[in-house]
Amino acid sequence: MATRISAIAVALVAAVAAVAVGVPTAGLRLVLALIAALGVAAVAALTSARVRREHPVVARTLITVIVVAVALIGTARLNSNVDTDLSLGAAMTIVLLGLSFLTGSSGQISLGNGAFMGVGAFTVAIWANHHHSSPLILVLVLAVVAGAAVGFLLGLPATRLRGPYLAGMTLAFAVAFGAILNVFGSWTGGDSGLQLPNAENAPHWLTHLYPAGTASLSVNSVWLASLTVVAAGVALFFMANLFASRFGRSLRLVRDNDVAAELVGISLPRARVTAFVISAAYAALGGGLWTIVNNAVTPSTYGFALSVTILSLVVIGGIGTIPGAIIGGLIYAFSNSAIGWITAHTGLSPQGNVASQLNGIIFGALLVLTIVFAPLGISGAIRRLWARRSW
Amino acid sequence: MDAFWTSRVMSDILGGLTNGVIYALVALSLVLIWRSTRILNFAQGAMAMLAAYVGFAVLAPSTNYWVSMAVAIVAGVVLGGLTERTVVRTLYGKPEINPVVAMVGFLLVLESVAAAIWSTTSRSLPTPFSIIDWQLAGRPVAMSPFALYEVITAIVVMVVVAVVFQFTSLGLQLRAAALNPEVSRLLGVRVTRMLTLGWMLASGVGAVTAVLVASNYFTGLTPTTMDGVFAFGFIAAAVGGLDSPVGALVAGVLLGVAFQFVGDYVNSNAIILVALGLLIVSLMVRPSGLFTRRTERRV
Repeated sequence: MATRISAIAVALVAAVAAVAVGVPTAGLRLVLALIAALGVAAVAALTSARVRREHPVVARTLITVIVVAVALIGTARLNSNVDTDLSLGAAMTIVLLGLSFLTGSSGQISLGNGAFMGVGAFTVAIWANHHHSSPLILVLVLAVVAGAAVGFLLGLPATRLRGPYLAGMTLAFAVAFGAILNVFGSWTGGDSGLQLPNAENAPHWLTHLYPAGTASLSVNSVWLASLTVVAAGVALFFMANLFASRFGRSLRLVRDNDVAAELVGISLPRARVTAFVISAAYAALGGGLWTIVNNAVTPSTYGFALSVTILSLVVIGGIGTIPGAIIGGLIYAFSNSAIGWITAHTGLSPQGNVASQLNGIIFGALLVLTIVFAPLGISGAIRRLWARRSW
Repeated sequence: MDAFWTSRVMSDILGGLTNGVIYALVALSLVLIWRSTRILNFAQGAMAMLAAYVGFAVLAPSTNYWVSMAVAIVAGVVLGGLTERTVVRTLYGKPEINPVVAMVGFLLVLESVAAAIWSTTSRSLPTPFSIIDWQLAGRPVAMSPFALYEVITAIVVMVVVAVVFQFTSLGLQLRAAALNPEVSRLLGVRVTRMLTLGWMLASGVGAVTAVLVASNYFTGLTPTTMDGVFAFGFIAAAVGGLDSPVGALVAGVLLGVAFQFVGDYVNSNAIILVALGLLIVSLMVRPSGLFTRRTERRV
């Protein structure tokens, strides 16, 4: 009963929020708000404990839909800067989902996911420069395929490696990525990177829906934010099912007891490589989306620092869990604004050394503190509090 | 004979040797820590970098090179001890990814702090010897007084480490603590103290490495100076075997020479590709390294 009541409360809050944010056109706002309220109520009721237990796929679908819907309504009401942050954060969520899956299911860790993002990012940029006007979905699929292929090559040793060897190898890949791009300089544009020939513009139906946009919000940034949010939703849905699938369960056995896994007939090499490939493919999808959002790609973005940032986000959010990846993505989306706020309120010079390194100092310290004091991160802490609740 | 010393092949060998001893030192530092605490110290390069900054940036540039070097080594040793006592000690017996994550976080903190204090602008270090190559019959030999000093310093460090481990009571205790902590403790070895000492020793080796790297390479000293060197050092350690100090040294020197040839005959950007390929192949063929006895885990 308690879950039902909290579900209805969530529905009410969401409905009010929907009316409040809405869209510029008054009539449309009312209709959408009603639909949203009904939808949210239905979803909330359906995702109650019983549905989650008996029809997990239905519940996962509905949860995904509600998360995406809330985010989409949000993107139409915020301003362009926040929407760009959200787009980058949503793409980052995809990357974090991949790393979370790798660690949560197979117990391995990769320090090279920033470079795998780069693989996807450059695939998109190179393709767009050679084939004008390809459908977006095709370009993103190509990024995923390229990421998976490189992931497979680097994942091969994962078949036999234990412990930190794989982490060290992926670190070497991340550090080397810039030089590797230079080897293929005629394709990748060397140090200056690539510009996309034409920006990803909002389609006509969306332009009609938000005719002029508002002063602070262009239709294009709404479109880009929606695009990445939907992509993150799709990635999230696949990942939720993958975690729960037979393959996901067999990987968790590999993580917890590889000898037992082998005894029940799981092929360790295949399981480990597959997990690694999936994580690389997710990273490449996130990187491809970044290229589309930024409309350009530079090699320096995809250096070792990015891989470390990815690791920090996933550990702080809660490694090995889906909520952890989402929390990490949100932290990423708003970390720059938060650090700007800190800089402004502590009187640091924004161009000074300390201000420019604040990001690294804070994330690094949080990373160490999280792994020492709360290895399960924010989502683990929330889960523990939830389990202790008295109602 | 002159033509031989200035030939392209010999130049590559000599140039590779100077890089190789650096990789060997980084690898040695990693192996020392891995053997005693089963932790791959991803912050090794950053700790060494910080020690070099303490030696060369805190003191005025006019200070004597050798004083700065000594200060850097002391800073490295202290930093190693502090790190073990504060961060690393909480990680023993945890799942194997926890130390990886913690050390990467520590790496990020150290590099950011160094950049916040000293900025990311490259700082060139004084060199005690000329960096101009010797000449033979009007052609340069790929070896300068400074490069020779580098090689000799590296060899001295290696010999000191070897002597400490093989011929002193302290070394015996260090080895015993790494090999079997429980039994050593029963026999009166202060194991926790040995672990701290192991980190201090490795970190001191790291400080020497960072000073050599920062004064030799045209990049100078920056907060990320050691990133690339660390990657090569790790590759050497992994190829040689994380459990084998000798393997790490041999692999480091051989890789240094091999990469010099690749850089000279192919292209300098190809070095890291070759290195990665080599690492992947070597890890697939002999996951525990070329110089270690195999301990197979099978059902």
